[in-house]
Amino acid sequence: MKVLDVALKDLMRSFRSLLFLFLGLVLPILTTGLFYFAFGGAAGGGEGFELPAVSVSVVNLDQPLARYGGFSAGQILAESLQSEELAAVLAVTEAADAASARSAVDSQEAGVAVIIPADFTAAVFDPEGRSEVEVYADPTLTLGPGIVRGIISQFVDAFAGSKIAAGVVYEQLAERGVDAGPMVLQTVATAYGQWTTGLDGSQGGEAGALFTVQSPSGAEEEPGDAASSVLSLMMAGMLVFYVFFGAGASAESILQEQESGTLPRLFTTPTPHSAILGGKFLSVFALVAVQVTVLLFASSLIFGIEWGEPLPVALVALGTVVVACSFGIFVNSLLKGTGQSGIVFGGLYTLAGMLGMMRVFTAGAAGTTGPIAVISLFVPQGWSVWGWQRLLGEGGAGDVLPVAGVMLALSAAFFVAGVLRFNKRFA
Amino acid sequence: MSGEKAIQVLDLHKDFGDVYAVQGVSFDVQAGEVFSLLGPNGAGKSTTISMLACLLEPTQGDALVKGNSIRRDPMAVKGAIGVVPQEIALYEDLSARENLVFWGKMYDLRGAVLKERVDEVLEIIGLTDRQKGRVSKFSGGMKRRLNIGIALLHRPHVLIMDEPTVGIDPQTRRSILDSVKAFNRQGMTILYTTHYMEEAQELSDHIAIMDQGEIIALGTHEELVRIVGELDRIDLVINAESEQVMAQWQATEGVHQASAADGQVTLLVDDSNLVLPRLFESATSAGVRITSVEIQEPNLEAVFLHLTGKALRE
Repeated sequence: MKVLDVALKDLMRSFRSLLFLFLGLVLPILTTGLFYFAFGGAAGGGEGFELPAVSVSVVNLDQPLARYGGFSAGQILAESLQSEELAAVLAVTEAADAASARSAVDSQEAGVAVIIPADFTAAVFDPEGRSEVEVYADPTLTLGPGIVRGIISQFVDAFAGSKIAAGVVYEQLAERGVDAGPMVLQTVATAYGQWTTGLDGSQGGEAGALFTVQSPSGAEEEPGDAASSVLSLMMAGMLVFYVFFGAGASAESILQEQESGTLPRLFTTPTPHSAILGGKFLSVFALVAVQVTVLLFASSLIFGIEWGEPLPVALVALGTVVVACSFGIFVNSLLKGTGQSGIVFGGLYTLAGMLGMMRVFTAGAAGTTGPIAVISLFVPQGWSVWGWQRLLGEGGAGDVLPVAGVMLALSAAFFVAGVLRFNKRFA
Repeated sequence: MSGEKAIQVLDLHKDFGDVYAVQGVSFDVQAGEVFSLLGPNGAGKSTTISMLACLLEPTQGDALVKGNSIRRDPMAVKGAIGVVPQEIALYEDLSARENLVFWGKMYDLRGAVLKERVDEVLEIIGLTDRQKGRVSKFSGGMKRRLNIGIALLHRPHVLIMDEPTVGIDPQTRRSILDSVKAFNRQGMTILYTTHYMEEAQELSDHIAIMDQGEIIALGTHEELVRIVGELDRIDLVINAESEQVMAQWQATEGVHQASAADGQVTLLVDDSNLVLPRLFESATSAGVRITSVEIQEPNLEAVFLHLTGKALRE
C-alpha cells in the first residue's frame, strides 16, 4: 500500500511539473511537427505528409551491346527514374554529359546528378565486369539523395541478380552440351530483372517482387509509403529519445529527494526501504508508460501515423518503457548527486540517443545502414528504435518479439544493477 | 514526569573510518521531559540523533526508545518517534494538506483518523487557512511550522528536534521555542539539540553538554552551573588582536580561565569587581582598548568554557 502512496505522490509531482510536460510530451511532438512542416505537411491540405520531389539530373553514357540485340541496362535505369511511379518523388531532367550534370548540382539547379557509365551494360554481362553509377549530390541535402541512392541501389542489386541468373543458365546449358547464345542470356537477364523490379508493368506490387515503388502522394496512401515512413520513423526516434530522457529525469527524483532531505526523512518513518524505493521505481515506470501512450496516440492523431497492430505495438512499447526506466534507474544509481545530472543528461543521454537514432537518419542511405545499424545497438535506445522500425515496416508480433525480448533482458540487467547500488547506498 | 524512561542510550559509538563522531555516549531521557543535547558544531549531536532515528547504524552500543532497540526493532522505534530535521524537508510542489496527508500515510494513518489528525495538526501549526496553498509559496516561518507539524501527525511518544532554529529569524525562533514548551506541557517527551546555550537553558529539564563526540557534563541547568561554582563570567570586546593582551590577562590574579574568538574575550573570574580594574590596567599597558564589558552570572557558556577551555561559539 505504501508503495502505491509513494508512487502516486511522485506521479502527482511530475504531472505538476511544466518541465516534464514540455520535455516529455510537447517537445517530441513539436520536433516531429517541425519535420512535418519542413517537408510540406502544411501545404498538403491536411491530407498527409508530402515530400517535395527531388530534382535529379540524369546522364546516360551507357553503350548498348550489339551482340545482345542492342540491350542497354543504362537505358532501363534512366527510363525507370523517369517513370510515372516515381514522378511525385523525382523530378528528372536529362543532361548532355557528366560535367553539365554535376554543374547543375553545383549551381543548385538539381539536388542530385546520376551519371550512368559507358560500360554499365557490359558489366552486366561480363562475369568479371565491374561498373559504378555515380550519384553526385548536394552535400546540404540528406533525404533526397538518400531516396535516389536507395532506388539506384535496388536497381543495381537487381542487375547483379540478373547477371548471376544468366551465369547459372549458361553453366547449366553448357553442362548439357548446349551453347547458350547472347540472345538467350539477354532474355534470361531481362526476365529476371523485370521480375525482381516489377518493371514490366505486370509484376509491380505483387508478392514475390524484391521491392516495389509507389507514389507517396496518390489518393490511396499506402503504409509503406516512403515519405510517410520517414515521418513515422522520425516520430519513433523522437519518442525513444525523449522517453529515455523522461525516464532518466524521473529516476533523478531519488537523488533530488536525497538532497532535499525528504528521502532521509522518509527513512525515519515506519516504512520499509523497499516500499520507499519500490514506490519511486513504480512511479518512474508509470510515468514513462503514460508518456509513451500519449505520444503514440497524439502522433497518430496529429500526423496520421499508423503504428501497426495492437499486439506488436504493445510489445515494442512495453520494451521501450521498461528499458528506458531501468536504464534511468541504473544511470542515476551511478551518480553521487544531481550536480552530476547535467553532464549525464546533456552528454551521455544525448550521445546515446543520437547513436540510437542513427538508424532513423540513415534509413534511406544505402551503404550506411549496415554498420550504423550495428553501432546503434551498442546503446539501449538503438534496440528500441529498431523495434519501432520493424513495427513500422509492417512487422507483426513475431517480427518485433526478438527485439522486445532483448529490451526486456537489458532492462533486467540495468534494473538489478541499479537496485543493488541504491540499496547499498541507503542501507 | 512519570519516571518512565522514554529513551535509554547505552554506550553509543559511531565511527566514519578514522573519524570518531560519537564515542561512548550514554544518557536517559525520562518520559514527559525536554532533554537537550548542547554543544558546538561537530560535537556529535546530529550523529547521535541520527542513530536514535535509525538513520545511522551504531558502530557499537545500543539505544532503547520506548523499550525498543534501535538495532533489533527499528520499525517499532520509528513508529514511536517523530523527527524534525534541521533542514526543511517538504515537498514544495504539493500543498500543505497534501504534504500532511502523504506523511501521515507513511506513519500508517489512514481514512478518517488520517483526516482528523491532519485537521488537528493544521490547527496546531496555524496553517488551516493556507492548507491548500503550494508550499513553494510559503514564507520561511510557515515552512518551519509545517516541517514540525509533520512530526506530530502520529502523536509520537518522543519528538526529536535537530537544531530546529538554525538560520531563522527571531520571530520564528520564538514561535518554535513556544511550540516546544506547549508540546511538552501536553506530555510529549522531547529530545532537542542545539548549540544555543540560552535555548537549552530555557527549554530543558536535563541538558547533556557534548564536545568531540562525548558527553562532558549532564544534569539540570542548576546542577551544571554549580560546576563552575561562584565564578563570574566577564565578556570583553577589544579593538585589537587578543594575542596582545591574552597572556597578561590569563596570568592576572583572580582569573581562572580565558578564551578569545572574533574579537571577543571571555573570562571566568573569582570576583569581577576586583578583577576588572586589573584587566583595564593590563589592556592600557598593552595599548589595547576595551570597547565593551559584560558581567554575567554563571551559565552554561561558563560551564562549557570551564570544562573545555573554549567558548561554545568557537
